[in-house]
Amino acid sequence: MSDRDDKDMLAAEFVLGTLDRDERDRVHRQRQHDSELEQRIGEWESRLAPLADEIQDLTPGPDLLPLIQQRIKAIEDAARGDTASDAPPSTASVTPLHRRLAFWKAATGLSSAAAVILAAVLLAQPSPSTSESNFVAVFQQDDRQPAFMLSVNLEQRRLHVRPVSAEPLPDRSYQLWIKHDDLGSAPRSVGVLDDDLSLDQAALRDYEPELLKHATFGISVEPPGGSPTGQPTGPAIHGYLYPTEPSGGQRL
Amino acid sequence: MSNAFRAPPPAHQESPPLSSPERLVHLLSRVADKDREAFAELYEASVAKLFGTVLRILKQQAWANDVIQEVYVTIWQKAGRFESERASAITWMVTIARNAAIDELRKAPTRPTESDSILENWVAETPSAYDQRHQDETSTQLTLCLDELEESRQQMVRLAYLEGWSRAELASHFDQPVNTVKTWLHRALKQLKGCLGS
Repeated sequence: MSDRDDKDMLAAEFVLGTLDRDERDRVHRQRQHDSELEQRIGEWESRLAPLADEIQDLTPGPDLLPLIQQRIKAIEDAARGDTASDAPPSTASVTPLHRRLAFWKAATGLSSAAAVILAAVLLAQPSPSTSESNFVAVFQQDDRQPAFMLSVNLEQRRLHVRPVSAEPLPDRSYQLWIKHDDLGSAPRSVGVLDDDLSLDQAALRDYEPELLKHATFGISVEPPGGSPTGQPTGPAIHGYLYPTEPSGGQRL
Repeated sequence: MSNAFRAPPPAHQESPPLSSPERLVHLLSRVADKDREAFAELYEASVAKLFGTVLRILKQQAWANDVIQEVYVTIWQKAGRFESERASAITWMVTIARNAAIDELRKAPTRPTESDSILENWVAETPSAYDQRHQDETSTQLTLCLDELEESRQQMVRLAYLEGWSRAELASHFDQPVNTVKTWLHRALKQLKGCLGS
């Protein structure tokens, strides 16, 4: 088989969707500078596009649009802020962070609709005037207003959980989890929130700031006293990304 | 900045084809100029198609909700790169959605199972105006070409394109070595290409 054929089949399988993760990553990179591959991909997209007619339209839950608009605004605000502070564009960091959410969800092995709780840790793109050690995560359920906010001071390794719309649940406990590749594929418990929805401020003392900076956090609803299995078992609070204050107190 | 985004138009505004190809192209060009109102209209006109695409691959609503947001952020950012001579607007957007969904799926350690699917809870809409008007020659041509493939090859192509199955998943389902599946896929794709006359 010629190289041309190989390339055409690579493009075809990329478009068909059968490549594994590494192969897809390779194609994503290669197409940036390989115009022939890029062209082949375009041709296969056109060839197979009519198959998409077999996909049934489905209306998503309400209010996704405002969330999308918030994310766009956050990205653009951050980009503007960064221009001023000469920091790297946050657009680049928002997407991978968001991807980690899906990964976290998948890694728990739980049905996301029923059992996964997610949070996004927003790495504040530090501007010169703000501390680099303050981070905020927002925990959000469905499309409603934030359930919890978690702020972490990396330097002091102190955390503060603040319920926003979340309220204590009868016979249920909220539990905070951390996930990071260095900690293995499963989330690790940080602690079970008290009845007043607070948590020991030093609960993160055993984690290195560098790890915390790149970790993902989640909050699950568990039986009283916390998960009996050591893994999240309870229903979902859903995470979305929000910008933090540093670049000039922007609000969404 | 707080007035930067407007509320979307009412969800069931049925006046002239919301998703006509020409209108989508027009909206995309306005989105390329960072027109937020056009973006909201584009979303309303296309989200059912894109969400259907993503959910069919990911099976889980919350996951699909996440990915669809990412998809529309990408559409916002890349609208300027859309070339109407290369693809229709909806094809361009479906491509972004499929790529995002399949990339996410490949990253997941375990594939979501069908039992997680909440598809049955979703009321499927009737085929959109777009679909109805575009069951056209191209579609027929591809369908005819697919019909010429052996039954199992047709299934493979549909499972891959529509459901996001990998070679390995196809191999396991069809009880064949992965390399055999790869060979079959390549033959099927070449046959399709030949049949479509390019």
